[in-house]
Amino acid sequence: MSIPPEGGGAPRIRPFLSGAPARPPAPSQHVEPVPQAGQAALRPFILTGGRVNADSADIKLETQVTARPGAPPHLVAAMAPESQHILHLCQSPLSVAEISARLHLHLGVIKILVADLHHAGYLDLHAFETDPVFDPDTILRVINGLRAIH
Amino acid sequence: MDSARSTEPVRRPPVPVKIVIAGGFGVGKTTTVGAISDIPPLTTEAEMTAESVGIDNPGQRTEKRTTTVAMDFGSVSIDHSLKLYLFGTPGQERFGYMWDDLSRGALGAMVVVDASRLDDCYPAVDYFEQVGLPFIVAVNAFDGRLGADLDTVRWALAIQDHTPVVAFDARNRTSVRDALLVVLDLALHRAVSHRSPLRA
Repeated sequence: MSIPPEGGGAPRIRPFLSGAPARPPAPSQHVEPVPQAGQAALRPFILTGGRVNADSADIKLETQVTARPGAPPHLVAAMAPESQHILHLCQSPLSVAEISARLHLHLGVIKILVADLHHAGYLDLHAFETDPVFDPDTILRVINGLRAIH
Repeated sequence: MDSARSTEPVRRPPVPVKIVIAGGFGVGKTTTVGAISDIPPLTTEAEMTAESVGIDNPGQRTEKRTTTVAMDFGSVSIDHSLKLYLFGTPGQERFGYMWDDLSRGALGAMVVVDASRLDDCYPAVDYFEQVGLPFIVAVNAFDGRLGADLDTVRWALAIQDHTPVVAFDARNRTSVRDALLVVLDLALHRAVSHRSPLRA
């Protein structure tokens, strides 16, 4: 008694056993967008209402940000989770780069959110009177501080 | 509004200063940052507009591409009112306008180099020379070996005489410190000459 080959008889499995090049994985039956770089680049900006160019130009990676005390809790609670998270993190001074790293959000997105929160009066952005780049005293302090590292 | 003041006053933020750590992938930028940073290196992603002039295809038109680059960074608290940030960035992409954001306000830059893959750092060297940011070339001694002597590196990169070329070990805290001190020396020189009466 012979067992009829399954599925109509064509030796469909054999070639694969004999080392023929494996067929590429079955073409996607269910079409699902493959999350690629494009997705990561696109999605975060939805948080900013599609704007990519707030007046965040003056915000630098190292700009220090602090939450302004006394924000009404019910207004904070109504904010997007990301904005609430920023306010929470900035109870102590934090740089824009650190906010971006802690929230796992692109720097550009963080800059826009921070700029918005600043304009709405929830965040302080700290600027310093002298540009450290041209301030020998500041640079000397950095030099002495590093020399103390062993 | 003013009642919250009593609970926990927000600390006065430190003055931030920064040094850019540039170089190709795998040359030891993150190791460099991690060797001296107070905190384990953090990563942030940024969109950068890279203007590719087409080195391989010079005939092609200049085109702009936007790429996402990961930046690893760390910080060193000099004292309670001064904090040094170190931003590590890949250097093999043609530097675009967004790089201005990075180098604007930087005290200087350190281009980390693997002597066996020198071409990785050309774009960074070009860029820093163009924008006039003080920088050094720091050859990472992988496994204690340099791979090429410093004069050869200087010759191959065709950098100007006033740009220091140093050897360092990215894993070693004091070695990284010493390399950063060379950058700061350039920064100090720039700051002092900026203030000199000649300019006024």
